[in-house]
Amino acid sequence: MRKEIVIRHIGMVLIFNAIFLFISFLISLYLSETSVVPLLYSSLIALVFGLFPLIYVKPSHYISIWEGTSIVVFGWITTCLVGSLPYILWGGEFSFINAWFESVSGFTTTGSTIINDIEILPKGLLFWRSSTHWLGGIGIVLFTILILPGSNTSKLVLLNTEMSPLAKSNFKFRAKEILRILLYVYLGLTILETILLNLAGMSFFDAINHSFATIATGGFSTKNLSIAYYNSISIEVIIMVFMVFSGVHFGLTFNTILGNKNNIFKSSIFKAYITFLLVGVILVSLKLYFSDMYPWWESVRYAAFQVISLGTTTGFATIDTANWPSFTQIILIYFTIQCAMIGSTSGGLKFDRIFIFFKAIKKQIKSIQHPHAVISLKVDGNSINEKTEIHTMIFIILYLGIIFITTALLTYLDVDNFTAFSSSAATIGNVGPGFGNVSSLGNYSNLPDLGKFFLTINMLLGRLEIFGIISLLFIKSWR
Amino acid sequence: MKIKFKILTGFLLLIIMLLIAGAMSIYEFSRIGKSVRALIDDNYKTIEASKTMIEALEREDSGILLLISGKWKEGRQILQSADSLFLSAFDIAKNNLTEKDEDMYIEKIETSYLIFKNKWEPPIVGTSKENSVNWYFTEVHINFIKVKSEINALMTLNQDSMYLEASELKEQAHRAIMPGIVAIVSALIFLVMFNFFIGLILVRPIKKLINSVKGYYLHSQNFDAEISNHDELKELEIEIQNLISRIHQKNEK
Repeated sequence: MRKEIVIRHIGMVLIFNAIFLFISFLISLYLSETSVVPLLYSSLIALVFGLFPLIYVKPSHYISIWEGTSIVVFGWITTCLVGSLPYILWGGEFSFINAWFESVSGFTTTGSTIINDIEILPKGLLFWRSSTHWLGGIGIVLFTILILPGSNTSKLVLLNTEMSPLAKSNFKFRAKEILRILLYVYLGLTILETILLNLAGMSFFDAINHSFATIATGGFSTKNLSIAYYNSISIEVIIMVFMVFSGVHFGLTFNTILGNKNNIFKSSIFKAYITFLLVGVILVSLKLYFSDMYPWWESVRYAAFQVISLGTTTGFATIDTANWPSFTQIILIYFTIQCAMIGSTSGGLKFDRIFIFFKAIKKQIKSIQHPHAVISLKVDGNSINEKTEIHTMIFIILYLGIIFITTALLTYLDVDNFTAFSSSAATIGNVGPGFGNVSSLGNYSNLPDLGKFFLTINMLLGRLEIFGIISLLFIKSWR
Repeated sequence: MKIKFKILTGFLLLIIMLLIAGAMSIYEFSRIGKSVRALIDDNYKTIEASKTMIEALEREDSGILLLISGKWKEGRQILQSADSLFLSAFDIAKNNLTEKDEDMYIEKIETSYLIFKNKWEPPIVGTSKENSVNWYFTEVHINFIKVKSEINALMTLNQDSMYLEASELKEQAHRAIMPGIVAIVSALIFLVMFNFFIGLILVRPIKKLINSVKGYYLHSQNFDAEISNHDELKELEIEIQNLISRIHQKNEK
């Protein structure tokens, strides 16, 4: 492996961080805030470390798979480290582990926070916090390779490493086009949501921050009460619509806008995804209503927002779900594990795998009934090969295994079972809020530091589709 | 890019990073200095003035008690000196308005002190007020307590603000120290990277050159160090190649 090539690409990623840190610094400078120095210095550090390798290493037109994997994994880790700098430098509630947690949570679009009082943070720092979502949402490495020049071969290697193989099934384009589509949809949705939220009564600053967090399916808010602060139906509806769109495969959204064949109306996965969300909303609404928690209209309002928020891995809240009936919490935990569609900005298990899993069960039953029949697993008329099927099953087992291991580790640190399980599921799914002590309007500040660190590993595993990080641990087998 | 320039750029980036960290620490420390001064100027002065006012007020109370017990001379002497002490402390507080609504507190003290003063300024000895404990408790003591509580309110306002300012100082101290710590850690990582890059642009090509020269004279292999950088080492490779070809030409002749 050519270490210099890996360092050069990580440097490029850092330059993008430096740009967004500098914008945050300008906001702080304009408002004469206490975060001026932390943001400026962080921006400089990112820039220096970004520029440094460019002086010594020439661009390469070829990147091996091992190099690609290293660029993506180390790129994310370095980005998260640099992203934690402004928090560390600013102080307040940010110890080193808290800053690292907030940064990883931001970049992986998890949206879990350790801050008790978000509203005292300077606006520049709040903007940086939302920017980490936005950069992480599209995948900081994808963002970098899209903007910066480079050969198509190297772009393809990085694209394959950063993106799930299943995600590419809905893209019938070359690497360059896929990247362009991603950026168009991403930018388009961000701008549109900012305008709509602004029109609905949110300040421009809040609108852009919430829009960054929605499109990236992140969940960081600028308010302690999250979306509940606004108590506005129009704002909730706008955010719900954009959360759903952000949880859909970007290629499908792009095709739908252009009127192409392969659109959301033809996708059986999209239909199943929406059906699951609707069933979830109905079940939660009914339970809330019949438990005399709220009148029917409010039951639907709160249920719809919470199910969509968790089902798309965003994590915004309009109410604290900690006191909801157990049945509704179980439904929400299901959506925390299910996550949104592949090819969207969400992380975690992803609905497509759940869909393949159910289809595989159906196939298995059929093969028991007809032992000699050749039965293939099909999605939208396309056969899913055995390799993908096995990969999906292994992924699901590994995913649930990691949730179990993290839960066990957290309970070892004296965290209660429910909090431990829900926080493990919420972090590996990049959802954000869990239940128990880390509920929708709560935060992760009371967890032990070591527990917070375990959860950040979960976030990175969820974001990088587990195998990316694990494969780097087996360096010998690469040779 | 020339090797000299590459090395120089590396050092320059390191220097810039350290200089800026230093500048930022100095900036934050100077802000701490200003905050400490502000803390003393803004709040500490008023707190001290409030304490003096309370002390003066208590002396005035003693003076009134002396007048009630018929000791005119001692009583008036104490009242006069305590009054001038109170007024000078009050002036300090009045001219040091730094907190929100502080002027309101000052106004309240001024009004209630005037009412209190009006109680003891007229003659007491030789009038019905002499030896009248009832008059003291109904007319004087109530107003004494009122002025005192209003001075205490002013003191609390400044103490609270001082506490907040001190908490902010703690944050500022953190912000002054952290760039230094981050700079040290960054510089260490930077040096490791610098070492790696020096190896990449200097050591690795030199080794290639050595091996190629050895290959040429020991095993009669073609001289080709395959140096990809366009710097002095590439020039050296070309010059060695020229030298070898000239030696070949000379030998052939």
